[in-house]
Amino acid sequence: MNNSEEAIGKVLAGLGGAEASPGMERRILAAIEERASQPSVAIPRWAWSVALAGVVAACLLFAITAIHQHEQIPTQAQQHVLPAKSAEGTQEALLLPQKPITSTRTPIGIAAPARKAQPISAEDAVLLREMRAPSHPAPEAPLTQEEKLLLRAVHTGDPQVMAMLNPEVRARQEAESEAEFRKFIEQSGKEDHESDQITE
Amino acid sequence: MASVAGGGLVLEITQPEIDVTALVETYSRLLFRVAHSVLRSQAEAEDVVQDVFVRVIERRQSLHAIHDMRVWLVRIAWNLALDRRRRIRPVQMDESFSESLAANTVPADEKLSEAERMKVVLREMERLPKAERHVLLLSAVEELDTAEMAKVVGRSESAVRALLFRARTRLRERLEARGGER
Repeated sequence: MNNSEEAIGKVLAGLGGAEASPGMERRILAAIEERASQPSVAIPRWAWSVALAGVVAACLLFAITAIHQHEQIPTQAQQHVLPAKSAEGTQEALLLPQKPITSTRTPIGIAAPARKAQPISAEDAVLLREMRAPSHPAPEAPLTQEEKLLLRAVHTGDPQVMAMLNPEVRARQEAESEAEFRKFIEQSGKEDHESDQITE
Repeated sequence: MASVAGGGLVLEITQPEIDVTALVETYSRLLFRVAHSVLRSQAEAEDVVQDVFVRVIERRQSLHAIHDMRVWLVRIAWNLALDRRRRIRPVQMDESFSESLAANTVPADEKLSEAERMKVVLREMERLPKAERHVLLLSAVEELDTAEMAKVVGRSESAVRALLFRARTRLRERLEARGGER
């Protein structure tokens, strides 16, 4: 027990009796004087207040702008539909489909009936109608002459025409016809020679 | 505004004027011991003392409202030392401090074992509950009485006395338990 108490006492005495190195006061004073001689860069409190107010104002402006833009985007389509509902006569021709947009998002603008509808021009209406029209395949264009011939050949199935479409068959047929022509020429030549001999 | 006049640093505030040179000469050694009890390093403790007086310069506008300058300065030094203690490696500090402690108290042939014994005490002190440890460390600074210690740690005097008693008892029991294990 005495041993532990003695050790504790020694440590505490060592901690309490610690002496600073000589000249500590002089060094501290020199450091403080150096700091005091430096120009003060302390910013006054009113400057902090002004800066804080500026930051708050900027944040508010940004938030208002963001909210305004967020409201405008989904209601742009709605703006074009609203006059169609209220317009009459020729305006009916410019009306857009009654279900203009099938959006998965909840349209925020619908909940704002106070927004006024603006009339749209005929050109804009056509553009919008085309833009919103459902997609269809392209309309059929008239066939060219070659396409018509090809279509006729395929549908009639004329073997001669069909053969003409195949280059191999066509070449073979041409060769055969040429061979027949030559054979005919040769035969006709022989018959002429025989008839000449008989007449002589 | 601080100015250097006649070799002394004087804070020119409305009433009364604060002589920083006098403050440094009066309290720097006390503040050094307070910081050293936490940090166990001369260089670190001196840095803390310097930081304390830099704070004095920075708070010169409100110095006249301070009633007990001594306790206020000790409190600043104490808090700055605790803050610095979190950033440095205390094990290294304790090692060199225990060696210096042993060298001062025992003959050279017993130096190693004594240094090891001091290191064990310091280690067990660090394992004490925070409130008990703080009061025990402040009690090492002999210039501080119980009332001043109570103001520094923000407790009542009776609480400080109870904490000090418990700290010493717990530390002694743990050291004896360690001695019994060997």
